Amino acid sequence: MEPVESQTESEVAAQENQSDHAAHSVPAPPERRERRKQPRTWETPPSPVPPPRLDDYQSIVGAADIEELRFLARELKGKTVKMVNSTAVGGGVAEMLNQLVPLLNELEVNTHWEVITGGNDFFEVTKAFHNALQGSDYKLTQNARDIFLMYNEQNRQRVQFSEDVVVIHDPQPAALIRARSDSSRRWVWRCHIDLSNPNAEVWNFLQPFIEQYDAAIFSSPSFARQLAVPQYLFYPCIDPLSEKNKDLEDSFVQQVCDEFGIDRSRPIVTQVSRFDRAKDPVGVVQAFKQARKYVDCQLVLAGGGASDDPEGAAVLKQVKDAAGEDADIIILDLPPWCAREINALQRASTIIVQKSIREGFGLTVTEALWKGKPTIAGAVGGIPNQVIHKLTGVLVHSVDGCAYQMRYLLTHPDFAKQLGENGREHVKENFLMTTNVRRWLLLIRILLTGGAK
Amino acid sequence: MTSAATTILATPASVKPFYFNTSAHLLRITRQKSSTLAEFLDALRECPDGSIFQHAFRTLQEHHFIREGFSNDFAHWALSACNEPSLAEGLASVDVREFTSVAQLRERFVQIVEGFLQRSPAAATRIARETFYFCASDSVVIPTSFVAHNLREFAEGLRGISVHSIHHHFIEARLRIKLMSNDFSQWLHEDLGLTETARQLNRIDIYTRTLEDVREQLVRVVERALA
Repeated sequence: MEPVESQTESEVAAQENQSDHAAHSVPAPPERRERRKQPRTWETPPSPVPPPRLDDYQSIVGAADIEELRFLARELKGKTVKMVNSTAVGGGVAEMLNQLVPLLNELEVNTHWEVITGGNDFFEVTKAFHNALQGSDYKLTQNARDIFLMYNEQNRQRVQFSEDVVVIHDPQPAALIRARSDSSRRWVWRCHIDLSNPNAEVWNFLQPFIEQYDAAIFSSPSFARQLAVPQYLFYPCIDPLSEKNKDLEDSFVQQVCDEFGIDRSRPIVTQVSRFDRAKDPVGVVQAFKQARKYVDCQLVLAGGGASDDPEGAAVLKQVKDAAGEDADIIILDLPPWCAREINALQRASTIIVQKSIREGFGLTVTEALWKGKPTIAGAVGGIPNQVIHKLTGVLVHSVDGCAYQMRYLLTHPDFAKQLGENGREHVKENFLMTTNVRRWLLLIRILLTGGAK
Repeated sequence: MTSAATTILATPASVKPFYFNTSAHLLRITRQKSSTLAEFLDALRECPDGSIFQHAFRTLQEHHFIREGFSNDFAHWALSACNEPSLAEGLASVDVREFTSVAQLRERFVQIVEGFLQRSPAAATRIARETFYFCASDSVVIPTSFVAHNLREFAEGLRGISVHSIHHHFIEARLRIKLMSNDFSQWLHEDLGLTETARQLNRIDIYTRTLEDVREQLVRVVERALA
């Protein structure tokens, strides 16, 4: 987690408005407050579920869309693809590959997933590269270069690259391009991070490798660099069948709300995100307090990251301080395996907020839109790709703006409903796993057959 | 049985079947981007044809679920990022159905922005709230399982195809066939001789309806011809 250097707008306002919550807070009944202090969640992760098959998506996206995928894959039958990344578990890339690889194989595009190996020294260097490429200060040393290249070379010697298309994910294995021996094979670099403002030393070191690929893929046009190779846009995606996003029985949603002391008979405003300054949870508390002067509502801040991260713990404390004794602000520090509970909280919400002041793509926004929820989001990172202002949600730039939109959406349910419906369709069209499969099939086809017009 | 009724229900040997296709698009990020209207005008002149196609035609497919308030990416940016409602109105009024080539369409957008900046020169260098990134589409045409030999099968096809296929035949088509028409109307007119039905389909407004609404309208017109 990276610190935000300057004091956020909400932190300034927090100092100015310390007495504000006391004037407007409404204590909840004692028994409810007691329950909120010790919410019951599973203490261990649930067992993994097998990845979905293509037909499982048919009821969601329609038979015609699935048929299109099968037609698109027909010309690629028997082609081989290798996906290479640096971790088999944890993180968004591994999660995405866990679902994408079986789906491509089901379509008879033979796809193999290879995870590179390296020592702690390698992963320390690549973590530093990762942060530096997203703008952190970093001094690139010769030792770091040597470690990076040495482990890439070890992996180059260990792994065979005989597939028709090789896809290298993120910077860690980028130098594997040196394994390219046959010009008929296609190599693609899939960059999942924001390169809009990279550390110049690290980027200048990596760029010559990247420009040997046949194409590069970015998650947003604003994350891309000027490169000598074609650059494609692959938005990140969510899986509508995952625990986080699948439909839930209303009884389970009710059970989760009961467990956490959330009153479904009153409006619920929710932000789901790590306790991280970049997500401005304190700003959300302030916006909520402003909005509640005019409209009754509860605020749920559900996230994690506070138990294993000192910075997260500090932010959580700030949030609790800002909330004070307000019984309508429900703060939940959940373990990472509570995906189904998060899903239930999102579904129980009247409005979902993601008031980030710095963001990657913002998949929590995607999740909210998919659930048809009217969404208020900070206009940063990849969020404007998802939230088209006043069409699929509303974009805000300040605490005041966020507070106004909370009031407006809570008092204009028809407009809010329309935003929610549009938001869900926007996700269905652009940000679902099936769309991701379609993009990969298209790219492979274009690279191998020149099949674009 | 009259010849029209034969066409509707049976398959005369001379009738060419209608093969429903669809197109899939992959977005490419181009070199053009603009943070001011002056840069936007330059980029409009220089960007690849695929960018004009993407931001005026394809965007209707990407946002097919929006019934009102969305016309094309250029108009949306002029309003939301540049806060220039009159320019946005001008850009939004461009109806892609009036153009049979990307060059004509590009020229129209350029004229509108040029005209606006002549009237409001101070707006040229004002920094927009968000940068506009010009993208372009690489497209692949793919078949579907639907084929129509007569009007009844045509209606079944319209009900079963994806909205991508509707966009391909009904909206993108005019760039391909270089006519102020669409694939559906062309087949109805040229192969089935149903000129009035063809004309009615071509009059369906794509800017005030979602693509699902357009599908319903298409089916309704065809069902009327079947009745």
